[in-house]
Amino acid sequence: MNASLHLNLLKDDERFTSSPIRPRIMIPLLTLLSVAGLGVWWLLLTERLSGAVHEKAIREAHCAELTPARNQVLSLRAREKEVRAALTQLGFYRASRIRFGDTLMRLPQHVPASIQFTELRVPPPPPLPAPDPALKVKPLGPTNLVEAVSLRIAGRAGSSASDEAVRSLLDALRQPAYTNLIRKAEIPKGAFRQDSARGPAARESILFEITCACGERRFK
Amino acid sequence: MSEAPFALNRLAPPIRTALGVTGAALLAGLAVIVFGIWPARQQIRTLTAEIAQLRDTHASMKADIAGTQKQRAATEAAEAALKAFLDQGVLEPLLGSFSMRGKSLLDPLAKASGFTISSVKEERLIPLQVPAPPPQQLYARQLVEFTGYGAYTQIVAFVQAAEQTFPLAIVSGLKIESQIQTPERHKATLTFEWPVKGEKRK
Repeated sequence: MNASLHLNLLKDDERFTSSPIRPRIMIPLLTLLSVAGLGVWWLLLTERLSGAVHEKAIREAHCAELTPARNQVLSLRAREKEVRAALTQLGFYRASRIRFGDTLMRLPQHVPASIQFTELRVPPPPPLPAPDPALKVKPLGPTNLVEAVSLRIAGRAGSSASDEAVRSLLDALRQPAYTNLIRKAEIPKGAFRQDSARGPAARESILFEITCACGERRFK
Repeated sequence: MSEAPFALNRLAPPIRTALGVTGAALLAGLAVIVFGIWPARQQIRTLTAEIAQLRDTHASMKADIAGTQKQRAATEAAEAALKAFLDQGVLEPLLGSFSMRGKSLLDPLAKASGFTISSVKEERLIPLQVPAPPPQQLYARQLVEFTGYGAYTQIVAFVQAAEQTFPLAIVSGLKIESQIQTPERHKATLTFEWPVKGEKRK
C-alpha cells in the first residue's frame, strides 16, 4: 500500500499567500497613506485659505483708501443727474411756451371799421383732473402732455354788410400771418345774431363770436 | 446581533489589528473631509468670489476716480445751464409772495406801455409734467393775475414787452372787455404764468 498522507500543521493565521502583497498589511497601509494624503490636502487648503483671507483684507484696504475719492465722484454724478432732470422738466415748460403779443398787435390791421370788439378772451389753463383712484402710486405731476389753448373774440358789427365784415375778419384770422398761433377759426353755430338785448335802438347792430383753436401747449 | 463580535473574535489577531487600523483610518479620513477639507473649500470658494468682487469694485473705483475731472466739468456745465435757465425768469417769491414778485417785475413795463395795473392776485400753482427720472426739486407753473386798464394798443404793448423781457413769462389767460363809459379804455385781466420751484420730492 502506497498511500500518501497530507499533514497540515499550520494554523489559519499562519498561512501565507504566494503573492508578495499581503492584504492585511497593504489595506491598512493604503488607508493610512490616504488619510495622510487627505491631511496634506487639508493643510494646503488651510494655507490657501489663509492666503485668501490676507488678500481679501488687502483688497478691502485698497477699496477703503479709494472710497473718499469715489464718493466725491458719485456725489458729482448725483448732482449732475439731479440738475439734468431739473433741466428736462424746465425744458417741458420752455417747449410749451406760446406767444400772443405779436399776433394781438397785428389784429387791429385786419379789423374792418364797422366792427367793434366787446371781448377778447383766452381762458386760463383748465384745472387738473383728479388723479385716478385706481392708481397705486400717485403721479408726481400731470400726465397730460398737451394743453389746449383757445381764443374767443366777441364783437359787434354795424348792420350794413355786417356779414361781409365779419367774414373778412374770419378770413384774416386764417391768413398765414396768424397761423403760427391760430390753427382754426370759426363762428360757432348761432353766434352771429341780432343784438336784441339792448333795446330797439341797438337792433341795427349784429353780435358775433369767433372762436379760435390755438396751437397746443406741448409739455415734452 | 451577537454575530459580529463573535465573528471578530474568531479572526486572527493580526487581521483584527489590520481591520481596526483600517477602520480607524477611514474614520479619521472621513473626519478630515467633513470637518477640515469641506469647510475649507467652501470658505475658499466664498473668499474667492468676494475677492473677485473686490477686484471689480476696485477697478471700477479707479475708473470712476480717473474720470473725476471730466465728471466735475460735466456737473459744472449742467449746473451753469440750470443757473442760466433760473436766471432767465424762474420766479422767486418776494417776501413769500409770487404776486408781489410778478408785480415788481411787470410794473415798470406796464408804466412804459401806458397800461395801468389796478390789482394783482396770486392764482393757482399747477404742477409741471415730470420727466423720468424725476428731479428731487420739482418745478411748477405759478399763475399771477393782473387786472388793469388801458387802450388796446397799450394792453398789447404791455403783453409784448413782458414776453420779450421775460422769456419764461407766458400769457396763459387773457380777457379784454370793452367799457361802455370809456370806449377807448378797456378792462384787461391778464394771467401770466412763470415757472417756480415746487415741492421737494421725499
